[in-house]
Amino acid sequence: MRMRLVAARSGTPRFYSGSATLPKGEGADVTGIEVVIPKRKTWDKVAVLQALASTVNRDTTAAPYAFQDDPYLIPTSSVESRSFLLAKKSGENAAKFIINLHPKYFQKDIAEPHIPCLMPECFEPQIEDISEAALQERIKLKKVKASVDMFDQLLQAGTTVSLETTNSLLDLLCYYGDQEPPADYHFQQSEKSEELEEASEENTEKPKKKAGQQLGATWRAKNNAERIFALMPEKNAHSYYTMIRGMVKHRAPVQALNLYTELLNNRLHADVYTFNSLIEATAMMNEKYEEKWNNMLELLKQMAMQKVKPNLQTFNTILKCLRRFYAFGKLPALQTLREMKALGIEPSLATYHYIIQLFYQHESPSKGSSLVIYDIMNELMGKKFSPQDPDDDMFFQSAMRVCSSLKDLELAYQVHGLLNTGDNWKFIGPSHRRNFYYSKFFSLLCLMEQIDITLKWYKDLIPSVFFPHSQALIDLLRALDVANRLEVIPQIWKDSKEYGHTFRSNLKEEILMLMARDQHPPELQVAFADCAADIKSTYESQDARQTAPDWPAGSLNCIAVLFLRAGRAQEAWKMLGLFKKHNKIPRNELLNEFMDNAKASNSPAQAIEIVRLASAFSLPVCEGLAQRVMTDFAISQEQKEALGHLTASASDSDSDSSSDSDGDINEGK
Amino acid sequence: MAASMCSRGLGPWVLSRSHALPCAWRALHVSAACAKNRAARVRVGKGDKPVTYEEAHAPHHIAHRKGWLSLHTGNLDGQDHAAERTVEDVFLRKFVLGTFPGCLADQLVLKRRANQVEVCALVLRQLPAHKLYFLVGYSEALLSHFYKCPVRMHLQTVPSKVVYKYI
Repeated sequence: MRMRLVAARSGTPRFYSGSATLPKGEGADVTGIEVVIPKRKTWDKVAVLQALASTVNRDTTAAPYAFQDDPYLIPTSSVESRSFLLAKKSGENAAKFIINLHPKYFQKDIAEPHIPCLMPECFEPQIEDISEAALQERIKLKKVKASVDMFDQLLQAGTTVSLETTNSLLDLLCYYGDQEPPADYHFQQSEKSEELEEASEENTEKPKKKAGQQLGATWRAKNNAERIFALMPEKNAHSYYTMIRGMVKHRAPVQALNLYTELLNNRLHADVYTFNSLIEATAMMNEKYEEKWNNMLELLKQMAMQKVKPNLQTFNTILKCLRRFYAFGKLPALQTLREMKALGIEPSLATYHYIIQLFYQHESPSKGSSLVIYDIMNELMGKKFSPQDPDDDMFFQSAMRVCSSLKDLELAYQVHGLLNTGDNWKFIGPSHRRNFYYSKFFSLLCLMEQIDITLKWYKDLIPSVFFPHSQALIDLLRALDVANRLEVIPQIWKDSKEYGHTFRSNLKEEILMLMARDQHPPELQVAFADCAADIKSTYESQDARQTAPDWPAGSLNCIAVLFLRAGRAQEAWKMLGLFKKHNKIPRNELLNEFMDNAKASNSPAQAIEIVRLASAFSLPVCEGLAQRVMTDFAISQEQKEALGHLTASASDSDSDSSSDSDGDINEGK
Repeated sequence: MAASMCSRGLGPWVLSRSHALPCAWRALHVSAACAKNRAARVRVGKGDKPVTYEEAHAPHHIAHRKGWLSLHTGNLDGQDHAAERTVEDVFLRKFVLGTFPGCLADQLVLKRRANQVEVCALVLRQLPAHKLYFLVGYSEALLSHFYKCPVRMHLQTVPSKVVYKYI
């Protein structure tokens, strides 16, 4: 063995690295292998968390994570979920208020590294003397009035303020339209302005609603910004840009365009943001559509002459303005889109949203709506987007609205697939937009999809993603009716109690009507009767709260029928008694069923009771019922006489008040 | 006998005579006596006093029948800052007790995980749900700013105090 070891050691040494140090004399088959060391990968700080997150799907039985996981604290309707989130946010605002009121208790910094967002903030200016630094501080703290006062004081003292500081003062004034930022600016990010913007969006879409809410400030003539602008000894391009953009933001397009001509006269060039504002300004002027479009084209030509490259915002602004041109805007919109592609600017979701709004402005598809949505969806398949425009989150809502009006389920699946690609779920928008999207999606599913798949979506979406309206549940019930799956109805009723539909009378009537319409096998009847008893108890608790009891006639009829069919005769008879109490008329079929039941249980007393009830309501069917009683049942003489009385009184009142009873019957049906 | 006077909140404080003589000397306690055999125990009554599971068990049952109310690594071998954690705990308990007035059904459970603090509270259903959310948002924000680390609150609601037995 020793000899072998020695022999091994004396052999050629092995080289483990395949580098170029291999001896050349090895042989023809071993070539020199070049090792390419790959570049070091840099991972995101949260890469591990993202990888772990990708293995977990959404839990469809859990409430969104922002809520506490406790039955008392989980919201049961969209109103409640919004109110809970707002309450939590207002608690945080209250805490921030306390922290900024007493900053000395929160100064101890034990975090390593330093976390700036957990330190108290200072909102009052520290520098008290009159100087440019004080002015800059006030501008940074966004104190409009204080900075204007400081500027005036500086001018009176004779010190010249530098161009940059004046420009930043102009920026502040133009951004806020010479008004203080809203009082709760520090606490609300931009929710209020968002809601107002949406309100204005809806106003442009539906002009029949009250139009023209004034948003924000209007640009007053000779306000501080203009005054300071006039006072400036030297103005550079930036000053002009700010003024123009401020004027356009606060709806003074004429002054903006005048200032633009002044800018050109001073042989300065505008930048791309200024051009975007100017395009908006031309759209705001009170002219015809063709003139506005020509003005916009003129501006774009000037832009090209001044060698300013347009960006995404330019095209989005053009499309946003074209939206208001209704039918005229369709051709220019397509031209704009082509231009955008030619320049190589990737459209964002907002672009497509404007195009959809332009082409699908009216709900009715009967006019021969365009097929542009299909082209759009083919284009967007599998694309991942990042936020580039504030209106990006309106796309999915408008796309689903179009799918719903076109009644196209495949398209809806495509839109939903796009939503689930990558990070696109972030573009679903605030809660009401999400609810709208999912309501439309679910209604479309109920209408067009097979019932099993619809039920799977039902379990998936409700209630973890959105709380359905009662109309959505009624659509689902109708779908179940069409597919002949009525046995699911008690489960749907149980679920809808959890989302706050316990007292929704149209939903309850629909459920009862569907259950009571046909005869069903006995176990199902029992389940239906339990469900009906549950609904009855909700009506009773509702009565306890209101002063005037108000049960719909249909519900009373259906509940009585269901009790009867399930063999719960006692309760059914109690229901009959309730008819009088609530002043509602029982239907003829109901009375016939009761008669059948009385015959089956062979009790003539009950039969006579039915006839008495019919005569009390002065129903014309009373005669027929009386006949039936006399033929089918074995009754005593006095009972016959009683019957005779009843029919006589009924026929008397019949002739007098036949029209009344007709009206009553209609009410009963 | 050593005279014991009430001196609040200072713990046992002993006044000693001069150390010159090595013989036995009497010490003077001027604080409340905190005997170890009376710590964290609810005294037995006539059988009408409801106690929760937590209160019913004495400290020597910890790790046998009870868990810990405060979980951190400060008391492990070689780890430090246990005292800071304890002081933080006292502050957190007092703060939450005051913020949720009359709503706490049991002692808080405080868990420290990485740099976060998780406050787990058992809450009665005294307040409507949106008020509880307001208080949760408030305490989370305030405590995060105070301790410069994420503080999360997890609530569990019960209809009334969960009684284990009556003693």
